[in-house]
Parts: sequence; structure tokens; C-alpha cells
Amino acid sequence: MHDDLQPLLLTFQLAITVTAILFVLGLPLAYWIAFSKNRFKYIVETLVSMPLVLPPTVIGFYLLIVFSPQHFLGHFLETYLGIRVVFSFTGLVIGSVIFSLPFMVNPIKAGLQNFRHELIEASYVLGKSPWETLRRVILPNIKPALLTGIVMAFAHTIGEFGVVLMIGGNIPGETRLASIAIYNEVEALNYDTAGLYALVLVGISFFILLVFYYLNRKPLKIF
Amino acid sequence: MSMVDIDVSGDVFCSIVLETASTASYLKQGSSVTLVFKETEVSIGKNLTGLISLRNRFKATIKRIEKSDILTKVFLNYRDKEIVSIISTRSAQKLGLIIGDDVEWLVKTNEVSLLQEG
Amino acid sequence: MIKIRIKKEMHTPRGQEWLDIDLNIAKGEFVTVFGESGAGKTTLLRILAGLTQAQEGYIEIDGDVWFDSQKGINLPIQQRKIGFISQESSLFPHMTVRENLEYACSDKNALNSIEEWIITIGLKGLEAQRPDQISGGQKQRVALIRALIKQPKILLLDEPLSDLDIHARLNLQDEIIKVYQKTGITTILVSHDLSEVFRLSRKVFIIHRGKITKSGSPQEVFVNNDLSGKFKFTGEIIEIHKDGVLNILTLSIGNHVTKVVASDEEILGLTIGSKVIVASKAFNPLIFKA
Repeated sequence: MHDDLQPLLLTFQLAITVTAILFVLGLPLAYWIAFSKNRFKYIVETLVSMPLVLPPTVIGFYLLIVFSPQHFLGHFLETYLGIRVVFSFTGLVIGSVIFSLPFMVNPIKAGLQNFRHELIEASYVLGKSPWETLRRVILPNIKPALLTGIVMAFAHTIGEFGVVLMIGGNIPGETRLASIAIYNEVEALNYDTAGLYALVLVGISFFILLVFYYLNRKPLKIF
Repeated sequence: MSMVDIDVSGDVFCSIVLETASTASYLKQGSSVTLVFKETEVSIGKNLTGLISLRNRFKATIKRIEKSDILTKVFLNYRDKEIVSIISTRSAQKLGLIIGDDVEWLVKTNEVSLLQEG
Repeated sequence: MIKIRIKKEMHTPRGQEWLDIDLNIAKGEFVTVFGESGAGKTTLLRILAGLTQAQEGYIEIDGDVWFDSQKGINLPIQQRKIGFISQESSLFPHMTVRENLEYACSDKNALNSIEEWIITIGLKGLEAQRPDQISGGQKQRVALIRALIKQPKILLLDEPLSDLDIHARLNLQDEIIKVYQKTGITTILVSHDLSEVFRLSRKVFIIHRGKITKSGSPQEVFVNNDLSGKFKFTGEIIEIHKDGVLNILTLSIGNHVTKVVASDEEILGLTIGSKVIVASKAFNPLIFKA
């Protein structure tokens, strides 16, 4: 494999992994936020949306501290489970999941909240459990919101720089993503390689969003 | 539909109503009702002879008369109750009604409404 | 037998009011709950269905306790065997008519009965349509079958006809009667349409500001017993004109202005603006084709 392509492949590998994890994690979280009557719900909503306002480096900094082998959690993971988070692909995944969380959760939450509640009640009255109702009634009807969440989380992960630089560093083949590689190449005055990365990122992002907006010509306005 | 006989101090009045004993609880023997009918439905007869289809006909005395161009209001004393009849002034003149006359007043059974008491 | 004894706080435009209901409904009875909007009719149905919880009370259906606030019993919606039809269509928009019906089926028997129901209710040929492709009346028919297919113990109808035009409404009333005769299911209809009440139910509960104020057959409840006159309207006096020994009253009744003759004694204490009841023996009015 050509070394130049590695950051790009790594970027997409990360984006796919993160999006998959976020979907599995974000759906129940969005469901809980949309339907729970818990009075401290707003605290969770605030936490989920924090990455929207914080500088990425702040999140990256805290993750670096928490997962460093000197810290309790990092120490525990490394000693007993053999997992090293900082400066590893695992670290990139964790950082990106946290940072892209609102991009997955907020559209799905809005989709669920806008969904006609009578249909959920109708399903319950017909004897169906909340899980079956979610699977067979709610999800098929909020596809645009799900798609928005998936595309936004994916696209946002591709474009991430600050968090991944802080927690992942710049290890070729391990944590050097396209966005970081561009920065490196520019620093090294390799404008050709930097240009290649930039062009591929622009092209692919454009293509993903284009397909998304085409499929979903009435997308939910979340942001 | 029901035909109801009502006892009014010894006289028997008749009323036809749409209700039946099963649709109106007050339609049973012994319940007290008030009879209601419009003054314009009360006719007056003087020296009546022969047969007539009206079953509600009772004797009364003229207490007072109020005339206008077209209609005349005749106040009757019926068993110390006041009954008012409104008839055309033309008829009143034809009958030669004067205060103190003994007359009969008549009202059709299907014009009598029943008012539940209490 | 259905026993309902519940209390629930309601927030209405008039302020806080209590829904305070105590009623029994015999098995197989078709009853109407009648009242103005905000009286608590829908809340009552929702409490029965388990969609809303009462603050306190007791609900028993055919010997099974569904709700008992003292013993902490509150049977989940899914386990209460109810058919529920609301005013707005609650068909699932992404499913066809047949898929909507299949969704309600929990066993093979129910699945096998779909065909029969479709024919009974006259939906043949629409099975592959989606809800947005059929009329409002047809939607409510599908909802009716969907509610009945799993053989509920009670059928709750929350003004299911109020969004329909008169033609569709009469049709659906027929279907409801047909279904009731076929299944004998205990049915509670919420309505504020008098003709519907007379047509469908044998018993009516009048609910006013959360309390049942009157109950009985529609005849007993609505045909006012104090006056045997059947031809009766409530109106307002807009003019009193004395003419000879009589008075001519101009009244506004509904959207119409009409004139009535009255004696001095009759209008004693009445002025312009007074609300009056105009009654006549049912024998008097003449009927002409409009």
C-alpha cells in the first residue's frame, strides 16, 4: 500500500467505526432524552451538546489527562485490560465518539420528538411493547432524522482535527489521520501531498452530502 | 303516543302527548301535572247544542273583556281560576259576549301540554 | 361488568378541575359519554385505556382489576384488552391497509380473520393502499377493524366520526352498529353529536366539568321531561312588539330569526335579550320540503 493513502484510509476507517458506535449509542440516548420524564434530563442534554460549543482541544486535553497511564482510569485500563487509549486508534475512536455525539443524538432526538405521539399510543394499545413499537413504527417513520444523524456524525468525524491531534498524536498508520497529515505535509512544505489529501477530503465530503441531500430532499433543520 | 286523562277539581281534561309511560317517567297514575295551553287555542261557546269532537269543554263565567281591532281577549272564571281565551273580535261580537255571561270554553286535546311538577 | 371509580386533576381553561367519575357499565352495553369539550370525556377514555393515570381510584373489567391506586395496581396499556379509536386517524403511515391490520394480530386466528373483516366492513380492494391514499371514512373503518381484530374486551371510541362529512359519518355509524351487533362488545363512545347518541347508544352519561350530571336512555336524558312539547328550541328575544291584545316577539333561534305570538301574561318579566324556551305541541308544525 502506498504510504500516502494511509491517512485517508485511516480517516474513513475511523469515520465508519465512530458512526457505527454512535448509532448504537445515540439511538437509545436520543430515545431517552425525547421520551423520559426525568426531571434532570436537561443536564444530560447539556452534556451531550457540550462538544458543539467547546474548542476541540479542550475535550482532547481532558481525554488525554483521564486516559494517561498516570491517571487512575488510564492506569487501570493499561494494567488490567492491556488497553492503551492515548496515542492509539482506540483513543481516536473514543475522542471522536464524544466529539460527534451531538451530531448523531440531536437530529434523532428531534425526529422522535416530532413524531406523532398518538401513533406510539396506538401501537401500545394494540399490545406492542416499546421496543417493538420503536422498531416497527417509530424508526421506519423517522428515516430522514436517522439519515441526518448518520451523515452528520460521519462527515463531522472526517473533518475532526483538534481532539484527535490531542489524544491520538501523529503516529503514521496508527493515528495519523488525513486532517493531521495535511497539517504535517504543509509544515514539511510538501504542498503536493497536502493538496492531494485536501482534494480527496473535499471530494468525498461533497459527494456524501450531495447524496444525502438528494435522498432526503426535505432534511430536518437541526443546526 | 299516549292519551292522558287529568283530573282538575272534579273535571276530566284530556291531553295527547308523544311520550309513553316507558319514555317519560311522569306518565303514571297519580302524578301531579300542570296543564299548559296557549290562549289562542281556547275557543268559547255559548248555548252549545248538538255533538262536537272537542272533549275538553267546561263551564265558566266571563269576568272581563279586552277588545282590539282584530282580536279580543276574554277572561273567564273557571272554578275560581282564570282562563284566558283569545278569539277574533268578529266572533266575540257575533256571540254577543258580555261580562257575566255563562259560556263554555273548549280546547283540543292535542293542544294541551303537560308540565311535570316538582 | 365495568366498574370505574376514578379521580384525576384536570387543567382546563377555567382553571383546575377534578375529573371525578363513578359509574358502572354492564357487559355488552353500548354507552355514550356526552359533554362539551374540556369536560373530561377524552381523559376518562385515556384513563380506561391506561394512556393516562388517575390520581386515585379503581377500575375493574369483567372481574379483572386494571387499576387500583390503594393496592398500587396499574395494568400496562399492552395488557389491557382494549380497542381504541381516536378522532384523528392513528393508522401507521408507512404501512398498507393490510399491514396495519396484520400489525394488530398476535396470533394465527387473528390473521385468518382479516379477510372476513375486510369483507364485512367493505374495504375489499383497498388492502394494498397506504393511509394517505384513502379517504377519512375509509381510514376510520380500517382503524375499526384494527381495533377489533385482537378481540378486545371493550371498544373505546373517542369522537371517531367528528372529522368526517355527514355522508361518511352516517356510513360509519352503520358500520359501528353492524360491528356491535356482530361482536356484542362493550362499547364506550365519546361524542358531542346528539343524533349520534340517539342512533348508537342505549345509555348516555352526561359529563359536565368532570362530573357525571345525568344518565339514562337518550330519551330520558335529552328529551326534557318537564314539558311534553316535543317541538322545542331555546332562543333569545330581540324585539317585543305589542299588537292589540297580543304581543309579537321576534326571536333569534340558532341561526334563524323567527316570530312568535305571546300574551301579556306570557311575557311577564321578559325583556329584550331574555333567553326563552319556545315550545309547541308536536302536532302543530307544518312540514315542507326544503
